Amino acid sequence: MSTTNVSFRVSSLRQGIPQPSFASLRRLGMTLAVILATTVIAQDIKVPDAEQLVGAAQGQPVSGALLDQRTNETAGLLRCPVCQGMSIADSPSEMAVNMKHQVRELIARGYTQEQILRYFERSYGQFVLLKPKFQGVNTLVWILPIIALAVGIWAIFAMMGRSPAPAPPSLADDDDPYLAEVRKLTGKQS
Amino acid sequence: MNKVVILVAGVAITLALVIILATGLGKDPQHIESPLIGKPAPDFALQAVGTHETVDLSRFRGKPLVVNFWATWCRPCYEEHPVLVSNAQLLQGQVQFLGVVFQDKEEKIQGFLNERGSAYPTLVDQAGKTAIAYGVGGVPETFFLNKDGKVVAKFEGPIDPDTLQQNIRKAMTQ
Repeated sequence: MSTTNVSFRVSSLRQGIPQPSFASLRRLGMTLAVILATTVIAQDIKVPDAEQLVGAAQGQPVSGALLDQRTNETAGLLRCPVCQGMSIADSPSEMAVNMKHQVRELIARGYTQEQILRYFERSYGQFVLLKPKFQGVNTLVWILPIIALAVGIWAIFAMMGRSPAPAPPSLADDDDPYLAEVRKLTGKQS
Repeated sequence: MNKVVILVAGVAITLALVIILATGLGKDPQHIESPLIGKPAPDFALQAVGTHETVDLSRFRGKPLVVNFWATWCRPCYEEHPVLVSNAQLLQGQVQFLGVVFQDKEEKIQGFLNERGSAYPTLVDQAGKTAIAYGVGGVPETFFLNKDGKVVAKFEGPIDPDTLQQNIRKAMTQ
């Protein structure tokens, strides 16, 4: 009696709920297998890491508000390679966003600002640094404005300190040979 | 005397500015001189589109390598794709070609390859970390590695057959 009731209830439920077919079960199994395989393979994925390029982190791992602050500070020093003179902190491009994520990840792991700048410089060269280093040709970028300012100040003082040129000696009317000649020709005496 | 000094200084500064502007104006502002030239290429192991097999760069040591960064949203990449595929077929066994796609979706990459053909593994660079490590500023960019895994040349933009072969020769000899 009870068995009949149960089977009745089950069959009633089966009528209400669509039953999975063999094909859909097979699809589900294949999807799970692909997800499992992808997960296993994903573990083998290896991307170039900062540790192999600039060594182990030299600072302390950072999190929270300090992490945000340091990420923005460091990202503000790196040039976005696909933009015109923008830092990766300001650029909305996907490349800049990816770079900023990497900066954040490295700071969270304890990498110092100097190490992170070195890491990016190793790939992109000094182009990536918004503040050029004081070395090589870049020295001119720092020195030339100071030299130009010094030369300008010196020129101004040199011009201000110069004594006024002596006025040409004034000739009295009587001493001017030209006027004397004119007077002689016109017959006028004054 | 002062006037002569000021004149000389003025001429020198103007000349320096003209030289800087003249050399700077002729350059592509997006061009990045790669500091990786002559150095070991950053190692990576990425998943191949279609097969999902993990392809490790180090397994190709002993053979010159062409690593091409590209994406399906990049129009110049359409232009260079047949050049890369035909050369990869021509140099099969002698030179290994690898495509690395970033900022893209796997379905789109698969569609591109189905439509336009493929002759070498195309790998997906999740989050663009490999591209960043190679100093990629835009796509397409192609790196040439010698048999020891050192970067010997980098080319920005769609590559033509002559430039490709010239750089491959460099990778084979250096």
